[in-house]
Amino acid sequence: MAKRARAVRWGVPVAAVAVVAAAVGTGPVIAAVRSEPSLPDRTAEQLLADVARTWQTGRMPQMSGTIVETASLGLPSLPGLSGSSGGPGPSGGASMASLLSGSHQLKIWYAGEDRFRLMLPGEMSETDVVANGGTVWLWDSAANTATRLTVPAGSAGGHGGHDAPFPMRSGAASPFATPDQAARQALEAAGTDTAISVGDDVTVAGRAAYQIVLTPKSADSLIRDVRVALDGEKLIPLRVQVYTKGAAEPAFEVGFESLSFTAPAAENFSFTPPAGAKVEEGTATPPADHRPEAVAEAHDRGRVVGSGWDSVLVTSLPDAPAQKPDAPAQKPDAPAEKQDGKERGGLDVAALLDGLKGAATPVSGEWGSGRLLSTKVVSILITDDGRLLAGAVTPEALYRAAGVKG
Amino acid sequence: MSMGENGTAVSEARPLAREEAPVREERRPARPAPGPVRHLTRLLASEIGLTFRRPRNLAMLGVLAVVPVVVGIAVRVASDGDAGGSIIGQIAGNGLMLTFAAFVVMMPIVLPLTVSVVAGDAIAGEAAQGTLRYLLVAPAGRTRLLLVKYANVVVFCLAACALVAVSALVTGLVLFPVGPVTLLSGTTIPAAGALLRVGVVVLYAAAGMAALGAVALAVSTLTEAPIGAVATSVVLVVVSQVLSAIPQVAAVRPVLLTSWWGAFDGALRAPVAFDEMGRGLFAFAAYVLVFGSLAWSRFTSKDITA
Repeated sequence: MAKRARAVRWGVPVAAVAVVAAAVGTGPVIAAVRSEPSLPDRTAEQLLADVARTWQTGRMPQMSGTIVETASLGLPSLPGLSGSSGGPGPSGGASMASLLSGSHQLKIWYAGEDRFRLMLPGEMSETDVVANGGTVWLWDSAANTATRLTVPAGSAGGHGGHDAPFPMRSGAASPFATPDQAARQALEAAGTDTAISVGDDVTVAGRAAYQIVLTPKSADSLIRDVRVALDGEKLIPLRVQVYTKGAAEPAFEVGFESLSFTAPAAENFSFTPPAGAKVEEGTATPPADHRPEAVAEAHDRGRVVGSGWDSVLVTSLPDAPAQKPDAPAQKPDAPAEKQDGKERGGLDVAALLDGLKGAATPVSGEWGSGRLLSTKVVSILITDDGRLLAGAVTPEALYRAAGVKG
Repeated sequence: MSMGENGTAVSEARPLAREEAPVREERRPARPAPGPVRHLTRLLASEIGLTFRRPRNLAMLGVLAVVPVVVGIAVRVASDGDAGGSIIGQIAGNGLMLTFAAFVVMMPIVLPLTVSVVAGDAIAGEAAQGTLRYLLVAPAGRTRLLLVKYANVVVFCLAACALVAVSALVTGLVLFPVGPVTLLSGTTIPAAGALLRVGVVVLYAAAGMAALGAVALAVSTLTEAPIGAVATSVVLVVVSQVLSAIPQVAAVRPVLLTSWWGAFDGALRAPVAFDEMGRGLFAFAAYVLVFGSLAWSRFTSKDITA
């Protein structure tokens, strides 16, 4: 066979690879081509006002969709996400800590504040939160356990905390939030220290969306900006992206991958514990969550220095081995949030942690000495006198905070 | 040269070098000039006949059928009425779960191994036996031959997966009570609905195996040693499973064939996770396209000496 004919033949698989690559890339490409959806111009102020109005009425449209969360390396906390996490979409339960790394999927069916279902698919397993009226079921297929959580009167859709209908933990332990929650938190955190602008319109999950860009004014912040995509029509948040300084890809992203504003099927909200399943009662914590009180304790002992984007969590180190008898491999100097993440998050997070520990460098200065973990989105300082400082700020800001109390 | 003559040439030349004597009769065309499609189906039928009569392949299918029985008996012997939460644990409570458990157990290595043997042998095996030459007497035959070989692999994948399901179903019916099935979502569906979902699982698993078949077939065109093609294919499967297990390289997971095999569990959710399974099917199709075209390029341009 002639050489040329042979070369042509080998062009076919190359073309096949190109076709596949094109097909995989089609989504983003189409989105890019359509990236200027024609939405009426609005200033940031108008947009925020409209959003505030929409949220005050508290009526989220009925919808069902798939939310994808992507977190890059070592993101234990998003500033402003800690504390209250109100809104109808709770953080959905036991395996949430596994969301600290990689990309994860969450499906949502939403028919109203007290009628919704969240599904976290796993490999041959599933975690579900099904709310219907006053009853909330937490279903963990791997443990074959259904937990009935009764909603205390008046707190449905209220603010999170330990009395919330769902086992919501504060920021560090629940990095995952619905776009609604995340956007609300980001906007609430915005104050005098944030520049708010309207970015280019984008297409998210096939819908034209406004984009609000929140840029921290502080030079100490590791966050470059936070971009909130708001549906052009319904004004609900479709996506939240956190960009760090000097990174092209978002360090954290949560947004709808697919979304439809149709009423979800009623079957989604009717949960009956299957025969043979363990049924538990109460406002209990999820079964797989062994020691939530340890986290709560760590947070109770902590205090926040600074404000807004520069917030630094200062806490004394927990006595890890004593608090975690079920995690013998735990090193006593590990950060509190991360211990929790490791315990509940399984191997992925553990491996991640080991990597981070390896990256810890001894540092010292006027404030004292200790070890510093620095990731692109968070800095963690463990001082030799047993304090832990963490924040989405530069190490220098941590040193300053460490020097304040001495 | 007409198709009929091609067909005759292929059909008569090939069995000479093979052991299966009775096959020769079947391969002789009954009519003088079958059309191209007819010719293809005829060739495929004879391929399938060869595949399913080959003792080695029958032995592998036998193993596939036995594994669910072994799992069933093990659970039956071990279980003392305590139905655990895992899929294996649920078998004791419901025999239908054995079908899904069988796929959980066999998708990672047993099924891929079987498919690798058949697909890896497809071209390299003929080359090693010295029969490939005879198959290619027809001038326009290479593309068609490759298509037939691959179609045969697909049929085998489907048969293997169906066999696993049937064996598991029968074992489950015999050893355990059967009733409404609890899905991963906690929803309980009637047994008939569960059977439908078994069908979906079988089709999805077969598609996943067919994608591996395309890879093995491509490797098979590269060598004249069938064992090399089979081993390469199996090693590729194991390596990608190892890669899937390493968190640091999580980014490559969506690209790996093996990471989509497990998505058959979408059939066990309520509502059925068609989106996730659809993405899996897309990945399978991409593998078939890329490796199928690789196999084609290699096979149609290489010098066949054996």
